[in-house]
Amino acid sequence: MQFALPPRKSPHPLPSVHSSRLPYYRKKQLKTVALFAIAVLVIIFLLPKLFSSSPISSAAPAGTAGVVIVTLLDRDNLSEGYIQKIVSNREDYAKRHGYTNFFANTSDYSDAVGDSPNSWALIPAVRHAMATYPRSAYYFHLSPHALIMNPSKSLKSHILDKSRLESLMLKDLPVVPPDSIIKTFSHLKEKDIDFIATQDSTDISPASFILKNGDFARFFLDFWFEPLFRNYKFVKAEVHGLDHIMQWHPTVLARTALVPQRLLNAYSKDSSGASADGSYKDGDFLIRFPACDSSPAGPPHDCGEMESYYMIWQRKVQNE
Amino acid sequence: MSLSRSPSPRPGGGWSSPGLTPSGTSTPRGFSPSPSSLAPSEISWAAAKAKSEEVRGYPSFSTRNSGFFSRQKRRISARLPSMARQWSWRTILEDADAAKEDAGLGRAYAGVHWIFLLLALGSETYREQTVIVHLYRRSPLGGGRKFVIILGSNVEGGVMEWKGAREWAIERNSIWNKELYAHEWGYELEVANLLAKKRYSHEWRESWEKGDVIREVMQKYPHAEWFWWLDLNTWVMEYGTSLQSHIFSHLEDKVYRDINVNNPLNITHPLPEFWLDEVGRSAEGDGRPESINMLLTQDCSGFNLGSFFLRRSLWTDRLLDAWWDPVMYEQMHMNWEHKEQNALEWIYQSQPWIRSSVAFLPQRSINSFPPGACGEEENPAIHYQEKDRDFLVNMAGCMYGRDCWSEMHHYRAVSNKHNKTWKEWCEQTYSGIHDWFFKPEDVQEQE
Repeated sequence: MQFALPPRKSPHPLPSVHSSRLPYYRKKQLKTVALFAIAVLVIIFLLPKLFSSSPISSAAPAGTAGVVIVTLLDRDNLSEGYIQKIVSNREDYAKRHGYTNFFANTSDYSDAVGDSPNSWALIPAVRHAMATYPRSAYYFHLSPHALIMNPSKSLKSHILDKSRLESLMLKDLPVVPPDSIIKTFSHLKEKDIDFIATQDSTDISPASFILKNGDFARFFLDFWFEPLFRNYKFVKAEVHGLDHIMQWHPTVLARTALVPQRLLNAYSKDSSGASADGSYKDGDFLIRFPACDSSPAGPPHDCGEMESYYMIWQRKVQNE
Repeated sequence: MSLSRSPSPRPGGGWSSPGLTPSGTSTPRGFSPSPSSLAPSEISWAAAKAKSEEVRGYPSFSTRNSGFFSRQKRRISARLPSMARQWSWRTILEDADAAKEDAGLGRAYAGVHWIFLLLALGSETYREQTVIVHLYRRSPLGGGRKFVIILGSNVEGGVMEWKGAREWAIERNSIWNKELYAHEWGYELEVANLLAKKRYSHEWRESWEKGDVIREVMQKYPHAEWFWWLDLNTWVMEYGTSLQSHIFSHLEDKVYRDINVNNPLNITHPLPEFWLDEVGRSAEGDGRPESINMLLTQDCSGFNLGSFFLRRSLWTDRLLDAWWDPVMYEQMHMNWEHKEQNALEWIYQSQPWIRSSVAFLPQRSINSFPPGACGEEENPAIHYQEKDRDFLVNMAGCMYGRDCWSEMHHYRAVSNKHNKTWKEWCEQTYSGIHDWFFKPEDVQEQE
């Protein structure tokens, strides 16, 4: 009997290297491929885990809220009655919005300030407020020669709110008026901002500013308070010190927003040096009396200019 | 003359201030002085600036690219365990075990190490394995890219002084030494050419260029976290010691943050001011290793910046920005004999935010001195100890009455002696492991 075709299956297959044992080189290749495949799978599995760690806070510590209003009172030079008025003005405002007041006394910082003008004391005073209220989100420094005239405005709705601040920030503006070659950055967003201040016609004004809690605040205040700056005999002491670091140190400028003067620092109509549209108008948040800053030597005194505005404020508060 | 306000920046660079300009005019209103009165200095400044632009292609400061994602990525890489120590499959296993001990993601990382271990075992030749190890070290997982070594080169060279054969030999050897070390561990090496010295001579701020160079390198290597500045007269003695195992895997154990541990300058620490917060008055900053942004050593007379680390951070941006200031410089340049080193000592003392992020390493961990530096007497806290296999020698001050080249030659020989034995050891270990793993299989194949 003849078979046209060889039997489909040999009952005794020839011993073949292909069936049970792969050649050595092939085995090695497979091993490499398998290992590579495992590696790829594990990496795919791990990638999401690698990128899901908790965010870092570069600015304010977690859980901060609220505002501390820092007022530095020179009890050796201001009369008791005047201090009473300022304190009641600040306390009324803080009560309305749940803010905290921090009243500092200039003479407490005289060791730190040393031989330099007393006005430098505002820097350790703000630092002191930060140490006393570390959970606060913002510190609002306001000169004792200023009155909050429209206390219904909260700082948040007035300035700090994200879209509000971004629309207010003055971009590409000479840092020191009128013609400094250093200009404010034009691409900053609200999240970049740690320091908010205003300019008058000649300088950035440290009499009224808002500082966000965080590492920048510590750096900024410590740097500003550098003994070699205090020692330099700037004519306007800490005011020129601030102009200086803003112009020379981009890491400071990059966290700074300058806003129109009347928002935070409207000058009384009798005072000189306001920027264009920097003088107080009815309904503005606050009014400042820069002429009263340069206090003459002698017995404790008031700020005469303030009296009439204080009456207006008092009447307004009583009517509410 | 009245110091009305700060010296203002001028268009095109430079500044004018009462103490430094020969004319003695201050510039109370921006930059009013007439161009003609300043013409000569303007021209040379512009020329120097143009020259330095050729060398430096990166702007010195940027407010961009500080976004969430880039910060996240660095943080992730900072947490990754490193393939530290001398490479062998055993060390990979140890790393994996160490990683397991870390909370949270540790187990996952351990898995990654196993992959590389398997890959390494899967390959046959020593060469292949070395390639895999180096690939791993350079990869984001290995962590080598976290580190950039910046070597200040061409010191006293170029236009300022004639450079002889010995100076060239020092430069060549020093660069070779850092290249070898950087390659071994997958680090980046940036040889900073300080050719643009002229620019700083004009600005009266020479030797602050360190800060500018570091800022530029930080932009060039966006993935790196730690930047290690080395002067040219240094020698890495131990190629087998990685920065991770030597310092960064156990940062909090390796450093001291309270300067009273070693206080040659007698700095008042911690600060007593009642108006500072707790961190400002603390001897140890906030005590968390994450807040350390600068690592340096002190020698017998104070801070030493021949070998120091800076971490990429907002703090470091601020330090590099605050380090030089015209008003500070104008008052102190006669007193600051060691220039930027003294300036750092000054701001460390005067500005509390600095000290809470600075940590010190014992001098010999990254900055051993040869005998003759810091006094004639041998001091085991300062001088190189061969029996302890110190990591790095800094031939500080060798240009003043000592011989830089012969010192470098000597330490090169010592280092070669040590590292030869290491390589031999490594090869022996390797062939032992290889035989143990693969010999039986090979023998079986042949049968």
